[in-house]
Amino acid sequence: MGWKAIHRWLGLTMGALAVVLGITGAILAFDPVQEAWQAPAAPGDLSVATLVERVTRTVPGAEEIRHLPSGAIVVFGFVGDQAQAHYVDPADGRVLGAWQPSALPRWVKNLHRSLLLGDAGRWGAAGIALAMALICSSALVLLLRRMGGWGRLAARVRGTLAQRIHVVTGRVVLAVLCLTSLTALFMSATTLGLVALDAGTEPDAVSVVSGKAALSGGQLPALHSLTVRDVRRLNFPDASDPEDTWKVATTQGDGWIDAYSGQMLAWQDATLAQQAYDWAVVLHTGEAAWPWAVVLGLVGASVLLFWWSGVVIWWQARRLAPRITANSALAQADVLIFVASEGGSTWGFAEALHAALVRGGHRVHTSALENFRTTAATRQVFVLAATYGDGQAPAHASHALERIGKLSASSVPVTVLGFGDRQYPAFSAFAQAIDATLRERGWNALLPLECIHQQSAQQFARWGEALAQALGEPLVLDYAPRVPPTTALTLVARQDFPAREGEPAAILRFAWPAGGRLAPFAAGDLLGIVPPGSAVPRFYSLASGTQDGFVELCVRLVPGGLCSTHLLGLQPGEAVQAFVRPNPGFALPRTRRPVLLIGAGTGVAPLAGFIRRNDRRRPMHLYFGGRDPARDFYFGAEIARWLDEGRLAHVQTAFSRVPDGGGYVQDALRRDGERLRALLAQGAFVRVCGSRAMAQGVGEALDELLAPLGLSVAQLKATDRYAEDIF
Amino acid sequence: MSKPLLTTLAAACALALPALAHSRQITVTTQLKNYGGDGAYLAVYLTDAKGAYAGTLWVAGGKAKYYKHLADWNRLSAGDAKRLAGVTGASVGAGRKLTVTADLADALIDAGYEIRVDAAVEDMRDSPADVRVPLAAGNAGKPQAGKQYVQSLSFQLK
Repeated sequence: MGWKAIHRWLGLTMGALAVVLGITGAILAFDPVQEAWQAPAAPGDLSVATLVERVTRTVPGAEEIRHLPSGAIVVFGFVGDQAQAHYVDPADGRVLGAWQPSALPRWVKNLHRSLLLGDAGRWGAAGIALAMALICSSALVLLLRRMGGWGRLAARVRGTLAQRIHVVTGRVVLAVLCLTSLTALFMSATTLGLVALDAGTEPDAVSVVSGKAALSGGQLPALHSLTVRDVRRLNFPDASDPEDTWKVATTQGDGWIDAYSGQMLAWQDATLAQQAYDWAVVLHTGEAAWPWAVVLGLVGASVLLFWWSGVVIWWQARRLAPRITANSALAQADVLIFVASEGGSTWGFAEALHAALVRGGHRVHTSALENFRTTAATRQVFVLAATYGDGQAPAHASHALERIGKLSASSVPVTVLGFGDRQYPAFSAFAQAIDATLRERGWNALLPLECIHQQSAQQFARWGEALAQALGEPLVLDYAPRVPPTTALTLVARQDFPAREGEPAAILRFAWPAGGRLAPFAAGDLLGIVPPGSAVPRFYSLASGTQDGFVELCVRLVPGGLCSTHLLGLQPGEAVQAFVRPNPGFALPRTRRPVLLIGAGTGVAPLAGFIRRNDRRRPMHLYFGGRDPARDFYFGAEIARWLDEGRLAHVQTAFSRVPDGGGYVQDALRRDGERLRALLAQGAFVRVCGSRAMAQGVGEALDELLAPLGLSVAQLKATDRYAEDIF
Repeated sequence: MSKPLLTTLAAACALALPALAHSRQITVTTQLKNYGGDGAYLAVYLTDAKGAYAGTLWVAGGKAKYYKHLADWNRLSAGDAKRLAGVTGASVGAGRKLTVTADLADALIDAGYEIRVDAAVEDMRDSPADVRVPLAAGNAGKPQAGKQYVQSLSFQLK
């Protein structure tokens, strides 16, 4: 079982119980805080003899003085038959008020440590602590894997909201959570008798009755050398027993003092286990250090957040998970398939390859690329890798290349199959990088690198034939694209932009059915549309989010394009089958930093969606490139309104087909060089949406602007400040 | 809470062994106050005329970690390896009653022996010798008030 499985299953099961301990722990953290404000702390260097003298003056029946972890002094005694406990002011022994061991009901603590089930419950709580320690250890491994090592631990977290909450919170509280789990385990071990704290038999110390009068507490020489800092408890001798002694409990050990001579009769050092226990209690409960208790309280409450976000992540992954049937365990499989996929479509090809190999009698294990490794049983490895954006790795496999580069080669052949789109210059760049790295490290390949264009089932089948020949086995790859469940969206409005030259376009607004199954989405996410008579979805950037209450796209006709023709032919009331695909890499992080939005043509759609929802009025600067303001200034009226409303700080347009239109959008960027450089120096985020040629031109223009700052587009991309949505 | 049981005070009590034939049954009832805390640890034991430990009748509370809080009993009985043999049970809740039954040698009665109860409650103060009652036939049936957690202790002889 891998770290991920340990983390997931322990988290889902024991995590639910850990929530109970977390919440009760958070409530219990109230006690040390409250205690710290109840009474003044005694100065650490106050002599115990002085303190006893003050206390005996003001509390005649005193029997025990306790130095609380908070530093306050409590005196126990009897008034008549009634036991009393009071705070006293260490400065003068003045009685301040009654002392209560806790401001909370008893059951909170008992629920926390024994689930209200007595001894069996203590074992249960210890089991939960052990599970928590394992969850924390696995979390650290997964966190490092996801972020790409210690050096990048502080980098921006990509992913869905639940993933970001889980990872970001984890980064902050993981260490504390781990510490509380380990201290809980140690404390449980002492309570359950697995670790002995006692220093053995207590010495049989008796005061030697010499005929002299007993000394008062302030006169005891043994107490003069002790300071309050070290003392936990001081017990007075029993008035009815002339042989009884003073007993002092300190952090270093316990002592027995003769009531008549005031000399230390016996001393017993605290055991190492006892000292460790004392530390564990401080670290676990925050007693003696109320700010730490506040931290512990927050961390305790965070367990609920972890569990909730963890359940959401698990549920989302389950829904999107590829349905690999007959997936053998890694250790037993003779064929391993590793997949890197941004939107999930590459998993469909992996499924087909997996099924074909299983039919051929192989034991096959399919997993994500970040899990790349080989075992003794491995005979063949296949890597199916899609490329994201401009030659980048899909988000989940962003550090896989680096990892593979560090592995030493085995004799097992590793064959790479890339997926991409030939219209991009960096066609299947990620698959090529993996292939190059593998060969460099000395891995063999059964087949040379092949790159599948636009998810072509025919090309995939031909590769299958080559594979069958190389393996010397019959093998038929049977691939049908996998489309997530779709929802019927009804067109409610369309705004047309007819063409005089070039192609017409329209902004289409759809409604989803009441109680519809459309996943939550935001501007910048993608809408997959399955045109009638096709099994392959086409993707459009969303110009709206769930919050807006409608689905909005900006579509331009692609000559001969099945889907755009269908969409532009729709009349209000007609419906399309669609599903949402998240595009977390393009989403804007929640910061107050300025945002530079650069779009051309229909590429302005997701940017318009960002501006529409800019309720917090963060400074957004839009650069829009079109051909002719009279024909393709999409969202023109809205942009003017958003500018008035303050949702948009600044807009600059460039139109390439009109005289003095300003040329291309990158020309507008160059003209505004100084202003933009200032924005970028402030840490502005950049989002670019449009055609490949436009994105390349923008990248070049911005590289020129960034150079004097010692920065580059590539660097901004690496820190997720720069993202492109290219079509 | 009632704990009917039969304890033979043997190991620590050399006096008792040969005289078992001449023994009497003693029932010690300890009523706790409603002190508002978790269950109390109690040690019910005997001391002789010199105040030395003579034997343990019962220890309520099962975790050795906390026995040091029953300070007098823990110290006095340290030499008795069998102090816990067959005489332990659960801690006693606030307001509840602990009843302990044992066979005692006749010779222990009216011989200066004393029944003592040490009590301790978590997060609250230890109370060694919360109550002490001389083991005299004349004291049978007379409740004796305790100091901190014990409301009263009484014993019956049969």
